[in-house]
Amino acid sequence: MAIKEKTNTQLFVDGILSENPIFRLALSMCPAVGISTSVMNGILLGTAVLFVQVCSSCTISLVRNYIHPKIRIPTYTLTIATWVTVIDLVLAAYMPVAYKAMGLFVRLIVAFAIITMRLEMFASREPLQKSFFDGLGMGLGFMFAMMVLGFVRELLGSGMILGYDVLGFKPLLFFVLPCAGFFVVGIMMGFFNWIEVVYKRKKEV
Amino acid sequence: MNQIIKITFALTISCVIAASAMGLAYTVTAKAKKHNHHMNVQNAMIGLLGFGKDNPAPSDLKFLNVYRYIVEDGDKKFLGYMVPVEKGSEEAYEMVLIDLEGNFVEKLEVPISAEKAEEDRDRATALEKVLAPPKIFTYADASVIATAGGKRLGYVLPGKFPGFRTFIHALVAMDPKFELLGLEIMEHEEDAGLGKEIEQEYFRNQFKGKTYEKLKTLEVIKKPLPMEYKKYLEKSKWEEGMFTEEQIAEIRKQYKDADIYAITASTISSKAVTGGVKNVAKKFAYRIGKLDSVLKKEKIHAAF
Repeated sequence: MAIKEKTNTQLFVDGILSENPIFRLALSMCPAVGISTSVMNGILLGTAVLFVQVCSSCTISLVRNYIHPKIRIPTYTLTIATWVTVIDLVLAAYMPVAYKAMGLFVRLIVAFAIITMRLEMFASREPLQKSFFDGLGMGLGFMFAMMVLGFVRELLGSGMILGYDVLGFKPLLFFVLPCAGFFVVGIMMGFFNWIEVVYKRKKEV
Repeated sequence: MNQIIKITFALTISCVIAASAMGLAYTVTAKAKKHNHHMNVQNAMIGLLGFGKDNPAPSDLKFLNVYRYIVEDGDKKFLGYMVPVEKGSEEAYEMVLIDLEGNFVEKLEVPISAEKAEEDRDRATALEKVLAPPKIFTYADASVIATAGGKRLGYVLPGKFPGFRTFIHALVAMDPKFELLGLEIMEHEEDAGLGKEIEQEYFRNQFKGKTYEKLKTLEVIKKPLPMEYKKYLEKSKWEEGMFTEEQIAEIRKQYKDADIYAITASTISSKAVTGGVKNVAKKFAYRIGKLDSVLKKEKIHAAF
């Protein structure tokens, strides 16, 4: 299998670029469209996903030989739910400031396709170290994608970046509305595909 | 068949492991979480009384809880107030029973420490010793009386009233003359962009400074909030030199007896909060009046 030949660094970089969860794998599109209205939202949701993805990947990778194949999906969901609950509780107890901003996002994660998919495709087959780097790459890739989407939508929709007024006016209010998420995601996906085509052509030459 | 058992077993084991992990996390974090909640409420109360960065709270600021119970003895009903009393240097609690007309009935000493009194369960155990069956007691609510230097600074009352979606939990602060000092929304589930605006300063601060007389007839009006008044209400967004002293005095005078301007497209939430605040304040003012006169008549030295 091709995956086995990849090094840890490759796994990590792949998650961010060539296998980016949103732009390349087209997974977890609901949050990508719904929540990516500002860069800050992207960072917060990205951080939350990163933590849960890494923790779940490691857990599943550790117990991968003991999971009954017929109930693997419930087991993944259970693992994710447990981690989400634990992280939610820990944040509420020891980081009340961060919890105030992130609390809602953390609880949303249980239903994210990207995490379950990575557990099914990767962590349930690969050893701990590889799963860790895959989880890290996927989490950061998700965060990166959310930030890019948030950047475009916040700048065009409300003329701000991270809450700071940079343009002084609102170019297109349309961009902060949910439907604009589809356009931005679509254009970004096309952009990433185009980069790949160009990159491959150069390689051939 | 064999497989069913295997799968059932495996699923049960996974669930048990997950449950224990979550349970462990809960037990470990419960105390810190509670502490955070307590600190949140404490800070909100200090803020409501008007203390902040430029106006630090006095060091002897104390929040004293008065717990209200409904006590039934056969077919007779009483109101029971568990009040902190001065007894030498230690803090002690006494249960004062008042009948529905406001006459004193009985006073009982409650053996409980100040720390334990804050816990619902500990309080109930202590009260069971004093109010033995056939007396039945039910917890109603707790009001907070803020004191400093032996004087009452104000009251902070927790309020819970139905909003547009579910219950809204709020803190209402009043000064000793029952003038509103402020309103803080603690918990609610109103819609973002609509009812959620009740959290905003431009809505909450409209209640500030309303006298008790005005409060009795306070209503919600469906008119746009004047721009100047909105700017004045959003105190945290004030910039240096935005308002002169005279302007502030003028705006304050102009809107002192104004009704509450409803939030655009959220009249129900606005009315719910206004009605709730009115209700909480009026009931408390009536009750504390009765309680105070009883305490005075019976020479009970309450700590407030």
